[in-house]
Amino acid sequence: MATTILECAGLKKYFGGVKALDGVSFNLAKGEVHALVGENGAGKSTLIKTLSGAFAWDEGTVSLKGKPYSPTDPREAKDKGLQVVHQEFNLLEHLSVAENICIEAMPRRAFGFLDRAEMARRARAALDAIGLTDVDVSTRVETLGIAHRQLIEIARALQSKSDILILDEPTATLTDREKERLFAIVESIQEQGVTVVFVTHHLDEVFRICNRVTVFRNGKTIITENIAESSPERVVQHMIGASLDSSVDESRNHPTFGELALRVENLVHVQNPHGEGVSFELRYGETLGIAGLVGAGRTEILRSLFGVNEIVSGDIQLDGKSVRFRDPSESIAAGIGFVTEDRKDEGLVIDMSIAANVSLASMKKVNRAGFMDFSAEQRNTQQRAGQLKLKYGHFNDAASSLSGGNQQKVVLAKWLESGPKILLLDEPTRGVDVGAKAEIYSIIRSLAVEQGMAILVVSSETPELMTLCDRIAVLANHRITGILDRPDFSESAILQYAYGQDPNARQQA
Amino acid sequence: MTATTKTSHKYSAKSILESFGIGIALLLLIVFFSVTTEHFLSSNNITNILSQVTINLILAIGMTFVILIGGIDLSVGSVMAFAAVVAGKAISMEGFGPAELITVAIIAGLAAGFVCGLLNGVISAYWALPSFIVTLGMLNIARGAALHITDARTIYSFPYAFEEFGSLLFYGIPVVFLVALALVFIAWVVLTRTVFGRILYAIGNNEEAVRLAGHRVFRYKVAAYTICGLTAGIAAIVYMARLNISSPIAGIGFELNAIAGVIIGGTSLSGGRGSIIGTLLGVFIIGVLANGLILLGLSDFMRQMITGVVIIVAVILDHYRAKYAS
Repeated sequence: MATTILECAGLKKYFGGVKALDGVSFNLAKGEVHALVGENGAGKSTLIKTLSGAFAWDEGTVSLKGKPYSPTDPREAKDKGLQVVHQEFNLLEHLSVAENICIEAMPRRAFGFLDRAEMARRARAALDAIGLTDVDVSTRVETLGIAHRQLIEIARALQSKSDILILDEPTATLTDREKERLFAIVESIQEQGVTVVFVTHHLDEVFRICNRVTVFRNGKTIITENIAESSPERVVQHMIGASLDSSVDESRNHPTFGELALRVENLVHVQNPHGEGVSFELRYGETLGIAGLVGAGRTEILRSLFGVNEIVSGDIQLDGKSVRFRDPSESIAAGIGFVTEDRKDEGLVIDMSIAANVSLASMKKVNRAGFMDFSAEQRNTQQRAGQLKLKYGHFNDAASSLSGGNQQKVVLAKWLESGPKILLLDEPTRGVDVGAKAEIYSIIRSLAVEQGMAILVVSSETPELMTLCDRIAVLANHRITGILDRPDFSESAILQYAYGQDPNARQQA
Repeated sequence: MTATTKTSHKYSAKSILESFGIGIALLLLIVFFSVTTEHFLSSNNITNILSQVTINLILAIGMTFVILIGGIDLSVGSVMAFAAVVAGKAISMEGFGPAELITVAIIAGLAAGFVCGLLNGVISAYWALPSFIVTLGMLNIARGAALHITDARTIYSFPYAFEEFGSLLFYGIPVVFLVALALVFIAWVVLTRTVFGRILYAIGNNEEAVRLAGHRVFRYKVAAYTICGLTAGIAAIVYMARLNISSPIAGIGFELNAIAGVIIGGTSLSGGRGSIIGTLLGVFIIGVLANGLILLGLSDFMRQMITGVVIIVAVILDHYRAKYAS
């Protein structure tokens, strides 16, 4: 292998008590394309942020070209030759391509006037360097497609002296043809001696264009392998780890459920790119999990069932009757509750009181001829707080005064107050500490088992789904690639389905 | 759980408590002017202040509703003029008795305000447009309409009973101010005691969460703007009764005074936080300041400058209060 350009040894990063990085060691060779893979939350994004100077690491060392490297801000990282193209775009849509490319150091003439000719020349050179000769530098960015925007970000990153280019999920929103173009550009960059770091969920891409792959799991680097000597199956095995399927409760293998609550047939919503719908059934008393990678279309299914996202085609049957909700008020009236993914943006009215949040989805219960029945609200809140073991000071305190776990319980309380028959849960324990997590699990279980609620739960944490669910449907690119019953639960099977592989196919040696 | 009996009142007690600082500021102003000027506390002057703040108070009540949901209404001054000339046209019809004319005029004026507010609400909420722009448009439409209807002429000579109502005193307190105070009370009940008020606050805090909780946010927003238009209509009637004219150029700049009152009263421009009690105090701070500074012998220009400073200071204080709260 050629000379090592960057070397990380034992990097650790803590956020409060959470270990975001827990021992990251790997190296980059000059001129290679190096893939970083791992499940959601395995530490890839945190690593990129530390390397690009967004925040410092707590332990460990990094050396760049043989010298110690610890950038204090993104500027310094850039100056030292490390460029990052982030997953979310940082382009100024209303400005031209040339202005975007030169935004970091606009060429000036005397008295601070902008040198437009020089700006256009630099932008042209930057675009030509990555073979993007068909884009006019005076075009406004908002008129360009996603793929071109991506490439313009790359061109912008590369115009300054670059040794390492980090691409974070660059193909997430690209079509196949656009991907091909990106790959060709990556190859040409590589030929110029730049090291490319490729963060992705798509193993086929890793095996297509990368030289080596480093696998992350739980904030640690597990192994670095040469692509030529590895296989997608091996990589998935590394991502899962050795200890599999520890806590499958055998007694739950043959449960009995109630009537059919929900039947979804060929549901296609507006965000679905290919028009191939999803179908599944859910019975009362049953908990169905939806697994899959970020962007596989999990949240969109919940949102379209709830009447938030528009449905293009397909059929939803609730208690045997076809329904199509146009607004959350209709789905709530029909007995559906939706614990959203994002507490602060969608779940809570965070500056208002706990009591106000608890009654928000069931105002009828505290409505006396239009007036607030504060004592009823107080009773309901105290009752839910007791049921959910909510730890709080006073129910007139703002919801923002609570910890993440207790905030989540307030969101749950809100939906339980609305008396749902079907509960949709999106990442029910995100940002919740371990203790509260266990409590939330037992609450959800008792809702299904004791109250016979039909529960649909989306989660990025596979063990969470394996704890909560009776069945798990796995999504990959808006298609259900497999539905597992409890006896068949395993992290490896779920992950393989999520990566579009078939776990039942014989493993290649 | 020990505080169970008192807590049902805490909701409103808290909103009063938040206005505490503004109340102290108002008190200090009153003490200051009482000491430095001879006539500030005279009964004549108090009557004077009360009738001076009345119209701004009525406009500020409606404005509070709109600002609480994160909007703004720049049209209230013009809408007031429009409602006044509509009512003025109605009241100068011939062939009816004074009671009928007054009734018709009041209904016409309120309806004009109501319709303008409704349009503001429907247009800004349906297309999710910035209310700043929509109500700026309405500002021009209503003013133009008022001038058009009257041919830019002022309408005079109303029934005697109507004119009398405008200058009627009840133990030295102008009756029109008592009307405004009654509206403050109604608005306070609506905002702190009703489900509707609760949802308005919630929308100002997090519209998406409210929508996902099954509330038709559109209707609530339209209602807030309509209330604001309606209070402009009420202000128009009070204005006519006090001055005995309907002028198409009335109310220029009144929207800014109303907004200033609401903001000084501690309602957040980004919505979700504030109270009608604060608005009442904020309007009084502007009114007392205006009256007192003139008694001190300062020019009206100086008064404007000082009011401007007070507005900016109030917003800076609000910034720290918001930071402190989170």
